[in-house]
Amino acid sequence: MPHLRRVGLAMLAIAAVFPWLGGAFFTRLGIEALLLGTVALSVDILLGYAGLLSLGQAAYFGLSAYVSALLYVHVTQSFWVVWIAVIAVVGIFSVALGAVAIRAKGVYFALITFGAAEILSKIAHNTRAIGGSDGLIGIPIPRIPLLPGVSLDLNSNLVFYYFVLATLVLIYLGTRRVLGTPFGSVLRAIRDNADRVPYLGYHPFWYKLFAYVLAAQIAAFGGLIYPLLRGFVAPHLFGFEVSTKAVVVSLVGGIGTLLGPLVGSVIITFLESVIGSYTDRHLFVLGTIFVVFVMFLPDGLLGLARRLTRDRKLAA
Amino acid sequence: MEDFLSYLHFVLLPQMIDALIIGAALALVALGLTMIFGLLDVINLAHGDLYMLGGYAAFTLVGWGMGYWGALVLAPVLIGLVGWGLEEAGIRPLLPRADRATVTLLLTFGVSLVLRDLAQVVWGTDTHAVAAPFAGIASLGQIFVPTYRLFVLAISLSAILITWWLVYHTRVGAVLRATAVDPSMVASFGIPIRWVYRFTFIYGCGLAGLAGVLLSPIYAVFPTMGHDFLVLAFAVVIVGGMGSIIGAVIAALLLTQVQGIASLYIPPVWAETLVYCVMLLVLVLRPSGLFHRLGEA
Repeated sequence: MPHLRRVGLAMLAIAAVFPWLGGAFFTRLGIEALLLGTVALSVDILLGYAGLLSLGQAAYFGLSAYVSALLYVHVTQSFWVVWIAVIAVVGIFSVALGAVAIRAKGVYFALITFGAAEILSKIAHNTRAIGGSDGLIGIPIPRIPLLPGVSLDLNSNLVFYYFVLATLVLIYLGTRRVLGTPFGSVLRAIRDNADRVPYLGYHPFWYKLFAYVLAAQIAAFGGLIYPLLRGFVAPHLFGFEVSTKAVVVSLVGGIGTLLGPLVGSVIITFLESVIGSYTDRHLFVLGTIFVVFVMFLPDGLLGLARRLTRDRKLAA
Repeated sequence: MEDFLSYLHFVLLPQMIDALIIGAALALVALGLTMIFGLLDVINLAHGDLYMLGGYAAFTLVGWGMGYWGALVLAPVLIGLVGWGLEEAGIRPLLPRADRATVTLLLTFGVSLVLRDLAQVVWGTDTHAVAAPFAGIASLGQIFVPTYRLFVLAISLSAILITWWLVYHTRVGAVLRATAVDPSMVASFGIPIRWVYRFTFIYGCGLAGLAGVLLSPIYAVFPTMGHDFLVLAFAVVIVGGMGSIIGAVIAALLLTQVQGIASLYIPPVWAETLVYCVMLLVLVLRPSGLFHRLGEA
């Protein structure tokens, strides 16, 4: 879709100069939007490509945030070691939970993922050893060695921002690449008609499971970075608010576009920040946006933009 | 032996009775959820907030001098009307869509956030107490239970029995069950399906409102009370089998016993987590739940 590419490039151009427009506050808000974007991207892989609505993607965001926070505080300061550990933990957990959740069809999937995230949140909330309801604070910010002699100092907002932006662009391109292969086609076929796909010789379970694990790892990447931005982790990271916000922003941007969720998370994060300075009724606003998009704009802003440009072409 | 008997009598039994009372009220919420799902394929994530509104309705109506008994009758009706509005304005336009299970789930989620925030605007974030209509304590063979809790049990069980009678022994129920199996066949007999859906939604929401009123003197009312209860009600509906009326009742009583008995041995917060683990276990072993869907044998 050349249309999407143009939107993507425009977004990237804005994102690239963004820290120079606003101050430190907006740069950090931008980082937050990009991290929410990882969870939204993982929601979109599942909902837009595999047809699975997950109401618990925050489970992986939170799990990864806690694992990395604990490792930074108690074990190691090496970003790469921590990431590998996160990949392993999230991998095991997502294979186990995915195998259970995918066996259950349709809305059950949504409920199981929702329930699992609730359990994790409750466990984090009730376990004194990992800070209980207060969470963990005082997470050191490591330097990230890239090449021999070159390392990133995340204490600088600018470095932090461009690091997250660059990795997110890579994740986005990688995901698009993966979903553009025959694997992605089978996944879409499963979404559109799960009953026929087995007759073509494909086993939907494994395709869905792979998509689930991939999505979990992407949300986990956001969770890996988050403690470094805020310096603390708390049980709400697992919570339903993060999970549902990820679904809202995907819906606002446009499901099944991969780019939409990123657009949506930037828009909603900044909107919330603006609304937040006038009122603390952000749940109300979020809920209303949710309802309006479900009822009137099911294909999101990107879908709306596409329809508008198509109409103009038809009129011309 | 003596010790064991008195342990049963004074520790275990009172705990089980308490759990039974909460379980019966929980069954009311789960019944509405499961009926709405069985007929409309809609997972109503705003159901917990309708339960919450039931509690606030009781608080407000009692505050207006209507008394507890007025609130007990009027609040479920009001919540039923709120449910009607939700069905009419939100659910109905989405029903023709192919992915209606997903979109209605998203819609009711949005509604749930809005209702919770509205409750904070209208009633504030403080916890409000609702006075019980009577204060006495009944003794059942040396076990002391507040009379009000027995009243909650009686009303809940009556509501469950009325629902059961309605669904399985009346003409309305026959239509309901038939609609769950094949709506277009029912429609071709000239029965207005729209009214069947509307009735189910209003009735289910009314039950949630009733549970809200009944439990308000026990738990008090606060804006997030619906959220925790909803997650619990979902565990019940999943374990019982989505769309199964008998399943919802049995699972509600079962899971609250698990929670009640477990909290004697482990901290209550962990007992709650245990309930979700039971739910996950049932999903692994028997993904469709313990009982059949409404209308199926």
